[in-house]
Amino acid sequence: MTQRGLIVLVCVIALAAALRVAIGPAAAADGSVHLAFGVASGEILALRTNAALSAGLLGCVLGLSGLALQVLLRNPLASPFVLGISSGAGFGVALVLALAYTLSIPAMAFGGEVAGAVAGALATLAIVAWLGRAREGSDPTTLVLAGVIVGAIFSAGTMLLEQLVPHGLRGDLLSWMAGRLPEIPSRAAFWTLACAAAGGWITLAARAGALDVACLSDDEARSSGVDVRRLRAMLFIVGGTLAAVAVAYAGPIGFVGLVGPHIARRLVGSRHAALVPASALAGAALLVAADAARQAIDLGTGRLPVGVVTALAGGPAFLWLLRNRARSGA
Amino acid sequence: MSATASDTLISARDVALSYGAVRALDGVSLDVPRGAILAIVGPNGCGKSTLLRVLAKLADGAQRSGEVVIAGESARDPSSLTRLRAFVPQRPEVSADFTAREVVRLGRHAVGASESAVARALDAVGLAARADLAFHTLSGGERQRVSIARALAQLDDPSKRAESSAVLLLDEPFSGIDPAEVARIVHALRERAARGAVVLSLHEPGLARAIATHALVMRAGKAIAFGPAATTLSAEILTEAYGHPMVESSAWLVPSLSAGGSIRS
Repeated sequence: MTQRGLIVLVCVIALAAALRVAIGPAAAADGSVHLAFGVASGEILALRTNAALSAGLLGCVLGLSGLALQVLLRNPLASPFVLGISSGAGFGVALVLALAYTLSIPAMAFGGEVAGAVAGALATLAIVAWLGRAREGSDPTTLVLAGVIVGAIFSAGTMLLEQLVPHGLRGDLLSWMAGRLPEIPSRAAFWTLACAAAGGWITLAARAGALDVACLSDDEARSSGVDVRRLRAMLFIVGGTLAAVAVAYAGPIGFVGLVGPHIARRLVGSRHAALVPASALAGAALLVAADAARQAIDLGTGRLPVGVVTALAGGPAFLWLLRNRARSGA
Repeated sequence: MSATASDTLISARDVALSYGAVRALDGVSLDVPRGAILAIVGPNGCGKSTLLRVLAKLADGAQRSGEVVIAGESARDPSSLTRLRAFVPQRPEVSADFTAREVVRLGRHAVGASESAVARALDAVGLAARADLAFHTLSGGERQRVSIARALAQLDDPSKRAESSAVLLLDEPFSGIDPAEVARIVHALRERAARGAVVLSLHEPGLARAIATHALVMRAGKAIAFGPAATTLSAEILTEAYGHPMVESSAWLVPSLSAGGSIRS
Protein backbone atom coordinates (compact mmCIF):
# COMPACT_ATOMS: atom_id res chain seq x y z
CA MET A 1 0.00 0.00 0.00
CA THR A 2 2.75 2.41 0.99
CA GLN A 3 4.89 2.09 -2.11
CA ARG A 4 1.95 2.09 -4.47
CA GLY A 5 0.65 5.28 -2.85
CA LEU A 6 3.99 7.06 -3.30
CA ILE A 7 4.22 5.90 -6.92
CA VAL A 8 0.69 7.20 -7.60
CA LEU A 9 1.69 10.59 -6.18
CA VAL A 10 4.86 10.80 -8.28
CA CYS A 11 2.84 9.93 -11.41
CA VAL A 12 0.26 12.62 -10.63
CA ILE A 13 3.04 15.18 -10.13
CA ALA A 14 4.64 14.20 -13.46
CA LEU A 15 1.31 14.46 -15.27
CA ALA A 16 0.45 17.81 -13.67
CA ALA A 17 3.92 19.19 -14.42
CA ALA A 18 3.65 18.04 -18.06
CA LEU A 19 0.31 19.86 -18.34
CA ARG A 20 1.74 22.98 -16.72
CA VAL A 21 4.59 23.03 -19.22
CA ALA A 22 2.42 22.21 -22.25
CA ILE A 23 -0.51 24.57 -21.62
CA GLY A 24 -0.21 28.09 -22.88
CA PRO A 25 -1.90 30.85 -24.82
CA ALA A 26 -1.82 31.10 -28.59
CA ALA A 27 -2.89 34.13 -30.59
CA ALA A 28 -5.31 33.58 -33.45
CA ALA A 29 -5.20 35.57 -36.70
CA ASP A 30 -8.00 37.86 -35.50
CA GLY A 31 -5.96 38.78 -32.44
CA SER A 32 -7.99 36.73 -29.90
CA VAL A 33 -6.15 34.46 -27.50
CA HIS A 34 -7.05 30.80 -27.09
CA LEU A 35 -5.75 27.80 -25.21
CA ALA A 36 -3.08 25.71 -26.87
CA PHE A 37 -1.16 22.57 -25.99
CA GLY A 38 2.30 22.07 -27.27
CA VAL A 39 5.96 21.86 -26.63
CA ALA A 40 7.18 25.36 -26.09
CA SER A 41 10.74 26.29 -26.83
CA GLY A 42 13.52 28.44 -25.56
CA GLU A 43 12.69 31.05 -23.01
CA ILE A 44 9.02 30.10 -22.69
CA LEU A 45 9.88 26.47 -21.94
CA ALA A 46 12.37 27.59 -19.31
CA LEU A 47 9.81 29.92 -17.73
CA ARG A 48 7.15 27.21 -17.57
CA THR A 49 9.56 24.58 -16.25
CA ASN A 50 10.70 26.96 -13.54
CA ALA A 51 7.09 27.69 -12.65
CA ALA A 52 6.27 23.97 -12.37
CA LEU A 53 9.38 23.40 -10.26
CA SER A 54 8.65 26.22 -7.84
CA ALA A 55 4.99 25.16 -7.58
CA GLY A 56 6.19 21.64 -6.72
CA LEU A 57 8.62 22.86 -4.07
CA LEU A 58 6.05 25.22 -2.56
CA GLY A 59 3.52 22.38 -2.46
CA CYS A 60 6.05 20.20 -0.60
CA VAL A 61 6.63 22.97 1.93
CA LEU A 62 2.90 23.48 2.48
CA GLY A 63 2.17 19.74 2.78
CA LEU A 64 4.98 19.23 5.31
CA SER A 65 3.95 22.31 7.29
CA GLY A 66 0.36 21.05 7.49
CA LEU A 67 1.50 17.61 8.63
CA ALA A 68 3.79 19.07 11.33
CA LEU A 69 0.97 21.28 12.64
CA GLN A 70 -1.52 18.40 12.65
CA VAL A 71 0.79 16.26 14.80
CA LEU A 72 1.81 19.22 16.98
CA LEU A 73 -1.77 20.16 17.82
CA ARG A 74 -3.10 16.58 17.59
CA ASN A 75 -5.74 18.02 15.36
CA PRO A 76 -6.74 16.93 11.84
CA LEU A 77 -8.06 20.40 11.00
CA ALA A 78 -4.73 22.12 11.62
CA SER A 79 -2.96 23.80 8.72
CA PRO A 80 -1.14 27.10 8.14
CA PHE A 81 -4.14 28.74 6.47
CA VAL A 82 -6.90 27.54 8.83
CA LEU A 83 -4.89 28.46 11.94
CA GLY A 84 -4.28 32.00 10.73
CA ILE A 85 -0.51 31.42 10.51
CA SER A 86 -0.49 32.46 6.86
CA SER A 87 -2.19 35.75 7.78
CA GLY A 88 0.28 36.30 10.62
CA ALA A 89 3.21 35.62 8.31
CA GLY A 90 1.63 37.88 5.71
CA PHE A 91 1.37 40.71 8.22
CA GLY A 92 5.03 40.16 9.09
CA VAL A 93 6.03 40.45 5.44
CA ALA A 94 3.85 43.51 4.84
CA LEU A 95 5.28 45.18 7.93
CA VAL A 96 8.84 44.57 6.78
CA LEU A 97 8.08 45.88 3.29
CA ALA A 98 6.29 48.95 4.63
CA LEU A 99 9.05 49.70 7.12
CA ALA A 100 11.74 49.21 4.49
CA TYR A 101 9.89 51.64 2.23
CA THR A 102 9.18 54.25 4.91
CA LEU A 103 12.69 54.20 6.33
CA SER A 104 14.22 53.92 2.84
CA ILE A 105 16.09 50.75 3.74
CA PRO A 106 17.33 49.09 0.58
CA ALA A 107 15.71 45.76 -0.32
CA MET A 108 17.32 42.87 1.57
CA ALA A 109 17.00 40.30 -1.22
CA PHE A 110 14.58 37.77 0.27
CA GLY A 111 15.93 37.87 3.82
CA GLY A 112 13.69 40.66 5.10
CA GLU A 113 10.52 39.02 3.86
CA VAL A 114 11.49 35.64 5.37
CA ALA A 115 12.44 37.18 8.71
CA GLY A 116 9.16 39.09 8.88
CA ALA A 117 7.16 36.02 7.86
CA VAL A 118 8.86 33.71 10.39
CA ALA A 119 8.31 36.20 13.22
CA GLY A 120 4.65 36.67 12.23
CA ALA A 121 4.04 32.93 11.78
CA LEU A 122 5.59 31.79 15.07
CA ALA A 123 3.87 34.58 17.01
CA THR A 124 0.50 33.59 15.50
CA LEU A 125 1.08 29.89 16.14
CA ALA A 126 1.98 30.60 19.76
CA ILE A 127 -1.12 32.78 20.28
CA VAL A 128 -3.52 30.33 18.57
CA ALA A 129 -2.09 27.25 20.31
CA TRP A 130 -2.35 29.06 23.65
CA LEU A 131 -5.95 30.12 23.01
CA GLY A 132 -6.99 26.67 21.82
CA ARG A 133 -5.17 24.65 24.45
CA ALA A 134 -7.01 21.96 26.36
CA ARG A 135 -6.01 19.43 29.01
CA GLU A 136 -4.86 16.89 26.44
CA GLY A 137 -3.78 18.30 23.10
CA SER A 138 -6.27 20.81 21.82
CA ASP A 139 -9.96 21.12 21.17
CA PRO A 140 -10.33 21.14 17.36
CA THR A 141 -13.20 23.61 17.22
CA THR A 142 -11.75 26.14 19.67
CA LEU A 143 -8.42 25.96 17.93
CA VAL A 144 -9.85 26.58 14.47
CA LEU A 145 -12.07 29.40 15.74
CA ALA A 146 -9.07 30.99 17.45
CA GLY A 147 -7.13 30.61 14.18
CA VAL A 148 -9.87 32.22 12.11
CA ILE A 149 -10.18 35.19 14.46
CA VAL A 150 -6.45 35.77 14.93
CA GLY A 151 -6.04 35.38 11.16
CA ALA A 152 -8.76 37.98 10.55
CA ILE A 153 -7.05 40.42 12.92
CA PHE A 154 -3.71 40.04 11.14
CA SER A 155 -5.40 40.35 7.72
CA ALA A 156 -7.00 43.58 8.87
CA GLY A 157 -3.60 44.74 10.06
CA THR A 158 -2.15 43.98 6.65
CA MET A 159 -4.95 45.91 4.93
CA LEU A 160 -4.30 48.84 7.24
CA LEU A 161 -0.63 48.78 6.25
CA GLU A 162 -1.70 48.80 2.59
CA GLN A 163 -3.48 52.11 3.13
CA LEU A 164 -0.38 53.59 4.70
CA VAL A 165 1.99 52.80 1.85
CA PRO A 166 2.13 54.50 -1.56
CA HIS A 167 0.27 53.22 -4.56
CA GLY A 168 2.95 51.13 -6.24
CA LEU A 169 3.73 49.07 -3.20
CA ARG A 170 0.01 48.79 -2.38
CA GLY A 171 -0.71 47.03 -5.70
CA ASP A 172 2.15 44.61 -5.06
CA LEU A 173 0.85 43.85 -1.58
CA LEU A 174 -2.72 43.29 -2.76
CA SER A 175 -1.78 40.89 -5.51
CA TRP A 176 0.67 39.09 -3.25
CA MET A 177 -1.99 38.64 -0.54
CA ALA A 178 -4.20 36.64 -2.87
CA GLY A 179 -1.58 33.89 -3.11
CA ARG A 180 0.39 34.06 -6.34
CA LEU A 181 3.36 32.08 -7.60
CA PRO A 182 6.03 34.55 -8.74
CA GLU A 183 6.63 34.36 -12.50
CA ILE A 184 10.33 34.94 -12.17
CA PRO A 185 11.42 34.33 -8.56
CA SER A 186 14.71 35.75 -7.39
CA ARG A 187 17.51 33.21 -6.94
CA ALA A 188 17.52 33.90 -3.21
CA ALA A 189 13.78 33.24 -2.94
CA PHE A 190 13.95 30.07 -5.00
CA TRP A 191 16.84 28.60 -3.02
CA THR A 192 15.28 29.55 0.30
CA LEU A 193 12.19 27.62 -0.78
CA ALA A 194 14.23 24.62 -1.93
CA CYS A 195 16.20 24.54 1.34
CA ALA A 196 12.98 24.78 3.37
CA ALA A 197 11.47 21.85 1.46
CA ALA A 198 14.57 19.70 1.88
CA GLY A 199 15.20 20.72 5.48
CA GLY A 200 11.61 20.17 6.55
CA TRP A 201 11.43 16.81 4.80
CA ILE A 202 14.67 15.55 6.36
CA THR A 203 13.88 16.86 9.86
CA LEU A 204 10.42 15.29 9.95
CA ALA A 205 11.50 12.02 8.29
CA ALA A 206 14.32 11.63 10.83
CA ARG A 207 11.78 11.65 13.68
CA ALA A 208 9.12 9.55 11.90
CA GLY A 209 9.05 6.91 14.65
CA ALA A 210 8.67 9.51 17.39
CA LEU A 211 5.89 11.20 15.40
CA ASP A 212 4.00 7.88 15.43
CA VAL A 213 4.38 7.66 19.22
CA ALA A 214 3.29 11.30 19.59
CA CYS A 215 -0.16 10.23 18.36
CA LEU A 216 -0.67 8.61 21.79
CA SER A 217 -1.60 10.71 24.83
CA ASP A 218 1.35 12.67 26.26
CA ASP A 219 1.68 10.32 29.25
CA GLU A 220 1.75 7.23 27.03
CA ALA A 221 4.19 8.84 24.59
CA ARG A 222 6.55 9.83 27.41
CA SER A 223 6.19 6.40 28.99
CA SER A 224 7.23 4.92 25.63
CA GLY A 225 10.42 6.96 25.66
CA VAL A 226 9.64 10.01 23.53
CA ASP A 227 10.62 13.42 24.88
CA VAL A 228 7.29 14.98 23.96
CA ARG A 229 8.29 18.50 24.90
CA ARG A 230 11.34 18.49 22.62
CA LEU A 231 9.39 16.89 19.80
CA ARG A 232 6.67 19.56 20.14
CA ALA A 233 9.29 22.32 20.05
CA MET A 234 10.68 20.81 16.84
CA LEU A 235 7.21 20.59 15.27
CA PHE A 236 6.41 24.15 16.35
CA ILE A 237 9.54 25.52 14.67
CA VAL A 238 9.33 23.32 11.54
CA GLY A 239 5.57 23.81 11.03
CA GLY A 240 5.73 27.56 11.63
CA THR A 241 8.91 28.21 9.64
CA LEU A 242 7.79 26.23 6.60
CA ALA A 243 4.46 28.06 6.60
CA ALA A 244 6.35 31.36 6.86
CA VAL A 245 8.71 30.60 3.97
CA ALA A 246 5.73 29.59 1.83
CA VAL A 247 3.98 32.88 2.59
CA ALA A 248 7.09 34.96 1.97
CA TYR A 249 7.48 33.20 -1.39
CA ALA A 250 3.95 33.25 -2.73
CA GLY A 251 1.58 34.87 -0.24
CA PRO A 252 -1.04 32.92 1.65
CA ILE A 253 -2.11 29.87 -0.36
CA GLY A 254 -4.90 27.97 1.34
CA PHE A 255 -5.91 24.33 1.69
CA VAL A 256 -2.81 22.67 0.23
CA GLY A 257 -1.36 22.23 3.73
CA LEU A 258 -4.71 20.95 4.97
CA VAL A 259 -5.75 18.61 2.16
CA GLY A 260 -2.25 17.35 1.26
CA PRO A 261 -1.69 15.31 4.47
CA HIS A 262 -5.26 13.97 4.31
CA ILE A 263 -4.79 12.67 0.77
CA ALA A 264 -1.45 11.23 1.89
CA ARG A 265 -3.10 9.36 4.79
CA ARG A 266 -5.65 7.81 2.44
CA LEU A 267 -2.88 6.66 0.11
CA VAL A 268 -0.19 5.41 2.52
CA GLY A 269 -1.80 5.09 5.97
CA SER A 270 -0.87 6.81 9.21
CA ARG A 271 2.73 5.69 9.81
CA HIS A 272 4.95 8.72 9.50
CA ALA A 273 7.80 6.91 7.75
CA ALA A 274 5.51 6.94 4.69
CA LEU A 275 3.31 9.87 5.66
CA VAL A 276 6.13 12.46 5.66
CA PRO A 277 7.18 11.88 2.03
CA ALA A 278 3.58 11.30 0.96
CA SER A 279 2.41 14.61 2.49
CA ALA A 280 5.20 16.47 0.71
CA LEU A 281 4.40 14.79 -2.61
CA ALA A 282 0.63 15.25 -2.22
CA GLY A 283 1.17 18.95 -1.52
CA ALA A 284 3.36 19.21 -4.63
CA ALA A 285 0.83 17.35 -6.77
CA LEU A 286 -2.00 19.60 -5.60
CA LEU A 287 -0.17 22.86 -6.20
CA VAL A 288 1.32 21.94 -9.59
CA ALA A 289 -2.12 20.75 -10.74
CA ALA A 290 -3.74 23.92 -9.39
CA ASP A 291 -1.18 26.05 -11.22
CA ALA A 292 -1.78 24.13 -14.46
CA ALA A 293 -5.51 24.75 -14.05
CA ARG A 294 -4.85 28.45 -13.37
CA GLN A 295 -2.72 28.63 -16.52
CA ALA A 296 -5.53 27.06 -18.55
CA ILE A 297 -8.15 29.41 -17.10
CA ASP A 298 -6.35 32.74 -17.38
CA LEU A 299 -4.57 31.82 -20.64
CA GLY A 300 -1.21 33.03 -19.48
CA THR A 301 -2.25 36.57 -18.69
CA GLY A 302 -1.03 35.91 -15.14
CA ARG A 303 -3.80 37.81 -13.46
CA LEU A 304 -5.53 34.90 -11.72
CA PRO A 305 -3.81 34.04 -8.41
CA VAL A 306 -3.24 30.33 -7.84
CA GLY A 307 -4.62 30.79 -4.31
CA VAL A 308 -8.05 31.24 -5.85
CA VAL A 309 -7.81 27.85 -7.57
CA THR A 310 -6.58 26.04 -4.44
CA ALA A 311 -9.41 27.52 -2.38
CA LEU A 312 -12.05 26.68 -5.01
CA ALA A 313 -10.82 23.09 -5.37
CA GLY A 314 -9.30 22.42 -1.94
CA GLY A 315 -12.14 23.82 0.17
CA PRO A 316 -14.81 21.44 -1.17
CA ALA A 317 -12.30 18.55 -1.20
CA PHE A 318 -11.68 19.12 2.48
CA LEU A 319 -15.40 19.27 3.24
CA TRP A 320 -15.77 15.94 1.45
CA LEU A 321 -12.91 14.42 3.48
CA LEU A 322 -14.48 15.76 6.65
CA ARG A 323 -17.84 14.24 5.81
CA ASN A 324 -16.31 10.83 5.00
CA ARG A 325 -14.38 10.98 8.24
CA ALA A 326 -17.52 11.76 10.24
CA ARG A 327 -19.42 8.93 8.56
CA SER A 328 -16.71 6.32 9.11
CA GLY A 329 -16.60 7.39 12.77
CA ALA A 330 -12.83 7.77 12.71
CA MET B 1 14.39 -12.93 52.65
CA SER B 2 15.38 -9.63 54.19
CA ALA B 3 14.50 -6.40 52.42
CA THR B 4 17.56 -4.79 50.85
CA ALA B 5 17.79 -1.72 48.65
CA SER B 6 17.81 -3.79 45.46
CA ASP B 7 14.54 -5.42 46.47
CA THR B 8 12.79 -2.06 46.35
CA LEU B 9 11.87 -1.19 42.77
CA ILE B 10 10.20 2.16 43.41
CA SER B 11 10.78 4.25 46.49
CA ALA B 12 8.91 7.51 47.11
CA ARG B 13 9.76 9.87 49.98
CA ASP B 14 7.51 12.72 51.12
CA VAL B 15 6.05 13.36 47.71
CA ALA B 16 3.88 16.48 47.55
CA LEU B 17 2.36 18.09 44.52
CA SER B 18 0.02 21.01 43.92
CA TYR B 19 -1.98 22.18 40.94
CA GLY B 20 -2.07 25.88 41.69
CA ALA B 21 -3.75 26.21 45.07
CA VAL B 22 -5.02 22.61 45.04
CA ARG B 23 -2.87 20.20 47.01
CA ALA B 24 -3.20 16.90 45.11
CA LEU B 25 -0.54 14.97 47.05
CA ASP B 26 0.49 15.75 50.59
CA GLY B 27 3.62 13.98 51.81
CA VAL B 28 3.18 10.44 50.50
CA SER B 29 5.93 7.86 51.13
CA LEU B 30 5.96 4.26 49.96
CA ASP B 31 8.19 1.41 48.78
CA VAL B 32 7.26 -1.00 46.03
CA PRO B 33 9.02 -4.31 46.74
CA ARG B 34 10.10 -6.68 43.98
CA GLY B 35 7.30 -9.08 43.08
CA ALA B 36 4.58 -6.86 44.55
CA ILE B 37 1.22 -5.96 43.11
CA LEU B 38 0.52 -2.68 44.89
CA ALA B 39 -3.06 -1.42 44.79
CA ILE B 40 -3.75 2.27 45.43
CA VAL B 41 -7.32 2.72 46.64
CA GLY B 42 -9.34 5.65 47.91
CA PRO B 43 -12.28 7.87 46.97
CA ASN B 44 -12.53 9.77 43.67
CA GLY B 45 -10.19 12.73 43.56
CA CYS B 46 -8.01 11.56 46.47
CA GLY B 47 -4.85 11.70 44.32
CA LYS B 48 -4.53 8.12 43.03
CA SER B 49 -3.90 9.11 39.41
CA THR B 50 -1.56 11.92 40.40
CA LEU B 51 0.46 9.58 42.61
CA LEU B 52 0.74 7.03 39.78
CA ARG B 53 2.01 9.71 37.39
CA VAL B 54 4.52 10.89 39.99
CA LEU B 55 5.73 7.32 40.57
CA ALA B 56 6.12 6.89 36.79
CA LYS B 57 8.08 10.18 36.66
CA LEU B 58 5.56 11.73 34.31
CA ALA B 59 4.43 14.63 36.51
CA ASP B 60 7.38 17.01 36.44
CA GLY B 61 5.34 19.87 35.00
CA ALA B 62 3.53 20.70 38.24
CA GLN B 63 5.01 22.10 41.46
CA ARG B 64 6.27 19.16 43.39
CA SER B 65 8.58 18.19 46.19
CA GLY B 66 9.92 14.94 47.55
CA GLU B 67 11.85 12.23 45.77
CA VAL B 68 11.03 9.20 43.65
CA VAL B 69 13.68 6.56 42.97
CA ILE B 70 13.06 3.87 40.35
CA ALA B 71 15.24 0.74 40.54
CA GLY B 72 17.74 2.40 42.86
CA GLU B 73 18.60 5.39 40.72
CA SER B 74 16.96 8.79 41.01
CA ALA B 75 18.23 10.76 38.01
CA ARG B 76 17.47 8.91 34.81
CA ASP B 77 16.97 10.31 31.37
CA PRO B 78 13.65 9.52 29.68
CA SER B 79 15.10 6.94 27.29
CA SER B 80 16.65 4.67 29.93
CA LEU B 81 13.54 5.04 32.08
CA THR B 82 11.70 3.36 29.24
CA ARG B 83 13.09 -0.05 30.16
CA LEU B 84 12.33 0.43 33.87
CA ARG B 85 8.70 1.45 33.86
CA ALA B 86 5.64 1.68 31.63
CA PHE B 87 2.46 3.61 32.25
CA VAL B 88 -1.14 2.88 31.20
CA PRO B 89 -3.49 5.86 31.58
CA GLN B 90 -7.15 5.65 32.49
CA ARG B 91 -8.25 6.79 29.04
CA PRO B 92 -5.78 5.78 26.32
CA GLU B 93 -5.73 8.06 23.30
CA VAL B 94 -4.66 7.46 19.73
CA SER B 95 -5.09 10.41 17.39
CA ALA B 96 -3.97 8.55 14.24
CA ASP B 97 -5.65 5.79 12.31
CA PHE B 98 -3.53 2.91 13.66
CA THR B 99 -4.50 -0.74 14.08
CA ALA B 100 -4.29 -2.33 17.53
CA ARG B 101 -1.06 -4.06 16.52
CA GLU B 102 0.48 -0.78 15.32
CA VAL B 103 -0.37 0.85 18.66
CA VAL B 104 1.27 -2.02 20.56
CA ARG B 105 4.37 -1.68 18.33
CA LEU B 106 4.71 1.95 19.50
CA GLY B 107 5.65 0.53 22.91
CA ARG B 108 8.84 -0.80 21.33
CA HIS B 109 9.82 2.61 19.92
CA ALA B 110 12.73 3.26 22.30
CA VAL B 111 13.63 -0.32 23.23
CA GLY B 112 14.01 -1.94 19.81
CA ALA B 113 11.44 -3.48 17.47
CA SER B 114 10.36 -7.01 18.39
CA GLU B 115 7.42 -8.66 16.67
CA SER B 116 7.54 -11.54 19.15
CA ALA B 117 7.18 -9.14 22.10
CA VAL B 118 4.23 -7.48 20.31
CA ALA B 119 2.58 -10.86 19.67
CA ARG B 120 3.12 -12.00 23.30
CA ALA B 121 1.59 -8.76 24.60
CA LEU B 122 -1.47 -8.99 22.33
CA ASP B 123 -1.91 -12.59 23.41
CA ALA B 124 -1.68 -11.65 27.09
CA VAL B 125 -4.62 -9.25 26.79
CA GLY B 126 -6.63 -11.60 24.56
CA LEU B 127 -6.55 -9.40 21.46
CA ALA B 128 -4.43 -11.55 19.13
CA ALA B 129 -7.44 -12.25 16.90
CA ARG B 130 -8.50 -8.60 16.73
CA ALA B 131 -5.03 -7.09 16.42
CA ASP B 132 -5.42 -5.88 12.86
CA LEU B 133 -8.63 -3.94 13.44
CA ALA B 134 -8.41 -0.15 13.57
CA PHE B 135 -8.02 1.12 17.14
CA HIS B 136 -10.95 3.50 16.62
CA THR B 137 -13.31 0.63 15.83
CA LEU B 138 -12.60 -1.14 19.15
CA SER B 139 -14.76 -0.77 22.26
CA GLY B 140 -13.61 1.22 25.28
CA GLY B 141 -12.57 -1.93 27.16
CA GLU B 142 -10.67 -3.23 24.16
CA ARG B 143 -8.82 0.09 23.77
CA GLN B 144 -7.84 -0.17 27.42
CA ARG B 145 -6.46 -3.67 26.75
CA VAL B 146 -4.53 -2.40 23.71
CA SER B 147 -2.87 0.21 25.92
CA ILE B 148 -2.01 -2.46 28.50
CA ALA B 149 -0.52 -4.58 25.71
CA ARG B 150 1.55 -1.60 24.54
CA ALA B 151 3.00 -1.25 28.04
CA LEU B 152 3.61 -5.02 28.34
CA ALA B 153 5.42 -5.02 24.98
CA GLN B 154 7.55 -2.07 26.13
CA LEU B 155 8.77 -3.93 29.22
CA ASP B 156 9.21 -7.30 27.49
CA ASP B 157 12.93 -8.00 27.49
CA PRO B 158 13.55 -11.44 25.96
CA SER B 159 17.28 -11.32 26.75
CA LYS B 160 16.80 -11.14 30.52
CA ARG B 161 13.26 -12.05 31.34
CA ALA B 162 14.21 -13.59 34.68
CA GLU B 163 16.06 -10.72 36.35
CA SER B 164 13.97 -7.85 35.04
CA SER B 165 13.26 -5.00 37.48
CA ALA B 166 10.61 -3.28 35.42
CA VAL B 167 7.51 -1.78 37.01
CA LEU B 168 4.17 -1.58 35.24
CA LEU B 169 1.92 1.27 36.45
CA LEU B 170 -1.77 1.29 35.52
CA ASP B 171 -4.49 3.84 36.26
CA GLU B 172 -7.87 2.09 36.74
CA PRO B 173 -7.00 -0.66 34.26
CA PHE B 174 -10.25 -2.59 34.67
CA SER B 175 -12.74 0.17 33.90
CA GLY B 176 -14.98 -1.05 31.08
CA ILE B 177 -13.48 -4.53 30.96
CA ASP B 178 -15.73 -7.60 31.33
CA PRO B 179 -15.12 -10.14 34.15
CA ALA B 180 -13.53 -12.83 31.97
CA GLU B 181 -11.07 -10.32 30.54
CA VAL B 182 -10.40 -8.97 34.03
CA ALA B 183 -9.31 -12.49 34.97
CA ARG B 184 -7.09 -12.73 31.90
CA ILE B 185 -5.43 -9.38 32.59
CA VAL B 186 -4.95 -10.21 36.27
CA HIS B 187 -3.08 -13.30 35.06
CA ALA B 188 -0.88 -11.10 32.84
CA LEU B 189 -0.24 -8.67 35.71
CA ARG B 190 0.77 -11.52 38.03
CA GLU B 191 3.27 -12.70 35.40
CA ARG B 192 4.56 -9.14 35.10
CA ALA B 193 4.88 -8.82 38.88
CA ALA B 194 6.90 -12.04 38.99
CA ARG B 195 9.51 -10.26 36.84
CA GLY B 196 9.39 -6.85 38.53
CA ALA B 197 6.37 -5.21 40.11
CA VAL B 198 2.95 -3.81 39.31
CA VAL B 199 1.35 -0.67 40.74
CA LEU B 200 -2.28 0.04 39.95
CA SER B 201 -5.07 2.30 41.12
CA LEU B 202 -8.46 0.70 41.69
CA HIS B 203 -11.79 2.06 42.80
CA GLU B 204 -13.09 -1.41 43.71
CA PRO B 205 -11.56 -2.39 47.09
CA GLY B 206 -12.83 -5.98 46.80
CA LEU B 207 -10.90 -6.49 43.59
CA ALA B 208 -7.87 -4.85 45.17
CA ARG B 209 -8.00 -7.34 48.04
CA ALA B 210 -8.30 -10.25 45.58
CA ILE B 211 -5.31 -9.38 43.41
CA ALA B 212 -2.92 -7.14 45.36
CA THR B 213 -0.07 -8.18 47.62
CA HIS B 214 0.30 -4.66 49.02
CA ALA B 215 -2.06 -1.73 49.36
CA LEU B 216 -1.92 2.02 49.86
CA VAL B 217 -5.12 3.63 51.10
CA MET B 218 -5.47 7.33 50.33
CA ARG B 219 -7.71 10.13 51.39
CA ALA B 220 -7.45 13.78 50.32
CA GLY B 221 -3.89 13.50 48.98
CA LYS B 222 -2.56 11.70 52.06
CA ALA B 223 -1.67 8.04 52.58
CA ILE B 224 -3.71 6.85 55.56
CA ALA B 225 -2.45 3.24 55.46
CA PHE B 226 0.26 1.28 53.66
CA GLY B 227 1.19 -2.38 54.05
CA PRO B 228 0.24 -5.95 53.12
CA ALA B 229 -3.09 -5.98 51.26
CA ALA B 230 -4.79 -8.43 53.62
CA THR B 231 -4.44 -6.20 56.69
CA THR B 232 -4.41 -2.78 55.03
CA LEU B 233 -7.65 -3.26 53.12
CA SER B 234 -9.74 -3.77 56.25
CA ALA B 235 -13.33 -2.63 56.61
CA GLU B 236 -12.22 -0.23 59.31
CA ILE B 237 -9.50 1.52 57.27
CA LEU B 238 -11.66 1.64 54.13
CA THR B 239 -14.55 3.10 56.13
CA GLU B 240 -12.23 5.90 57.17
CA ALA B 241 -10.96 6.39 53.61
CA TYR B 242 -14.34 6.56 51.90
CA GLY B 243 -16.22 8.23 54.74
CA HIS B 244 -18.90 5.63 54.30
CA PRO B 245 -19.46 2.37 56.25
CA MET B 246 -17.78 -0.60 54.52
CA VAL B 247 -18.83 -4.15 55.41
CA GLU B 248 -17.61 -7.68 54.64
CA SER B 249 -19.92 -9.44 52.21
CA SER B 250 -20.14 -12.62 50.17
CA ALA B 251 -23.08 -11.33 48.16
CA TRP B 252 -21.08 -9.99 45.21
CA LEU B 253 -20.37 -12.22 42.22
CA VAL B 254 -16.73 -12.01 41.17
CA PRO B 255 -14.70 -13.67 38.41
CA SER B 256 -12.53 -16.61 39.43
CA LEU B 257 -8.99 -15.30 39.23
CA SER B 258 -7.27 -18.68 39.48
CA ALA B 259 -8.46 -19.69 36.01
CA GLY B 260 -6.19 -17.03 34.57
CA GLY B 261 -6.14 -16.62 30.82
CA SER B 262 -7.14 -20.19 30.03
CA ILE B 263 -10.90 -19.76 30.31
CA ARG B 264 -11.45 -18.40 26.86
CA SER B 265 -9.37 -18.66 23.76
